[in-house]
Amino acid sequence: MSSQSSLDVIRLAGELDIARRDEIRRALQPNDAGGPILVDLSEVTYADSTVIAGLLRLRNDADAAQRRIALLIGDARLTRLLQYAGLAHAFTVFDDRASALTYLAGSPEQ
Amino acid sequence: MDAKPLRPLFVTALVLALVIPILVAGGVGVRAYVRSSLHVAEEIRTARATASVLLRYQLDEETGVRGYAVTRERAFLQPYREARELLPREAAELGRALRELGLRDGVAALADASATNALWLRTVAAPIVARPNPRDGNALQRRGKALVDHVRADVARIQTAILTREAVIDGDTERAIDRINLVVLLAVVLVGGIGFFLASQQTRLTRTLAQHQREAAQLLSAYEAEKRVADTLKDAFVQKPLPVLDAVRFSATYTPAAEEAKVGGDWYDVVELDADRVLFVVGDVAGHGIEAAVAMVRARQELVSSAVADPDPASLLVRGNAQLLGQRARMVTAVCGIADARAFRFTYATAGHPPPVLVEPGREPRLLECGGMPLGLLPTVSYVEHTVQSLPGAMLVLYTDGALEHSHDVLAGERILLDAVAGVARSGVADAAGAIRDAIFSERTAGDDVAILTIAFAPAKRGRGVLAAGVARGGDAPGARRNTSR
Repeated sequence: MSSQSSLDVIRLAGELDIARRDEIRRALQPNDAGGPILVDLSEVTYADSTVIAGLLRLRNDADAAQRRIALLIGDARLTRLLQYAGLAHAFTVFDDRASALTYLAGSPEQ
Repeated sequence: MDAKPLRPLFVTALVLALVIPILVAGGVGVRAYVRSSLHVAEEIRTARATASVLLRYQLDEETGVRGYAVTRERAFLQPYREARELLPREAAELGRALRELGLRDGVAALADASATNALWLRTVAAPIVARPNPRDGNALQRRGKALVDHVRADVARIQTAILTREAVIDGDTERAIDRINLVVLLAVVLVGGIGFFLASQQTRLTRTLAQHQREAAQLLSAYEAEKRVADTLKDAFVQKPLPVLDAVRFSATYTPAAEEAKVGGDWYDVVELDADRVLFVVGDVAGHGIEAAVAMVRARQELVSSAVADPDPASLLVRGNAQLLGQRARMVTAVCGIADARAFRFTYATAGHPPPVLVEPGREPRLLECGGMPLGLLPTVSYVEHTVQSLPGAMLVLYTDGALEHSHDVLAGERILLDAVAGVARSGVADAAGAIRDAIFSERTAGDDVAILTIAFAPAKRGRGVLAAGVARGGDAPGARRNTSR
């Protein structure tokens, strides 16, 4: 696995709560390409426990598959929610896409 | 009104619109066919009869002429004359009927017969009538017989043609009858189809209606059952009386989400560890309803039961996580900690839970640190233990995310919460938790369960040591007084 593996971009937007549970569950399934995963939440302003649980499971799966994963956050409210959830430490979080992509393109496990 | 019940009517109208023209066309066709076949039958009868008469006239003529030739009696010429007069009329009538029937063979044979008859009249009958005893009498007789035989053969041809036509007519009739049968069958099938369709629609409607009623009844009874159990659970677990201590004051409130059955996944617990210390836990199981409530009961048992042996908040959360993970339970967030009334110190750890609020006398309330992953999801977790050295009169406010995320704007939620806490702290009301809840939700609707627990150290009293006021008693009888308000 290397930078040749295609980037898996997971993108969600808006307010994510239990009403969008199925959509969230589907979106947070990584593809099978084995490449790094960018979770683009730059347009998300709210996320409830459905998303928190989904993100943690996603990180678990990515760890198991030795896939790099980065979280792109654009809204201070979401940053705060992820702090509550302790995800700030569980994920490598970026607020701009370029840095996230640079991080994901780097060789893993270093 | 729903458009669906009208559908059978539309279908029926459509089918009728198809059936009626078919039946009308079939009826008109049958009527026309019957009329035409009656007409043809009439013509056939006429043709057969006239063909026979034609032949008879020819024979009458021949017989009359022969009789005259033998006897010289002019009386024998009477049938000859009559037949000679009548035969052309019959021929004309037969010709019309044959043409009407479209029998070209017959028409040709008739023309031949008429021509032969004319030839006979001219070359046989006329010479004999003129000279009854001619020299070539025998030759004339022979010629006459041949010509008459020719006419006989022509008439036979005509009769054959008519018979053939009759056979064709019979075949047509059979086919027509088949067609009539088909039309009738089609009509019967269509009308039967409509009947069946309407009946099945009726049955389905009835069945659907009955099923809806059944499902509604089931839902209602399930809801009622859930609500009964929920009410019981809520009473049993949430409204557990808080300890009453001199050194530490508690207040708590729990409001389930309005639209759900009256129980959620939020809870709070306060457990006296010893004379100076109480363990507190506020938690939130993802979801609402009975399943969340059962998971909640389990989670709080896991957290509290091990506290007596080792109340260290971070290890409590680690053990709770392991237990919940083993049960494949729902995600749980919690804050747990120890309030030490002798040292005026709070020690706590959070697991995916929003931060505690601390308000100290004469200061604005502030959000404490938080972090640490939720319980029940990941096998390896670690939690940071935070220690806050505080002072007499300080109040710690613990809550679940419903108190913060009512607008889905968590930063605004934090400000609103801090304002509410500040106001309540200034007013100094006994039921701080209820007052905070009221301040937040006086103008807002809670979309989620809301639990709030406040833990306050007794204020410093002039002339008396705080410690003396704070300690002294343990094992206060639970249930003596309820600080919860609803």
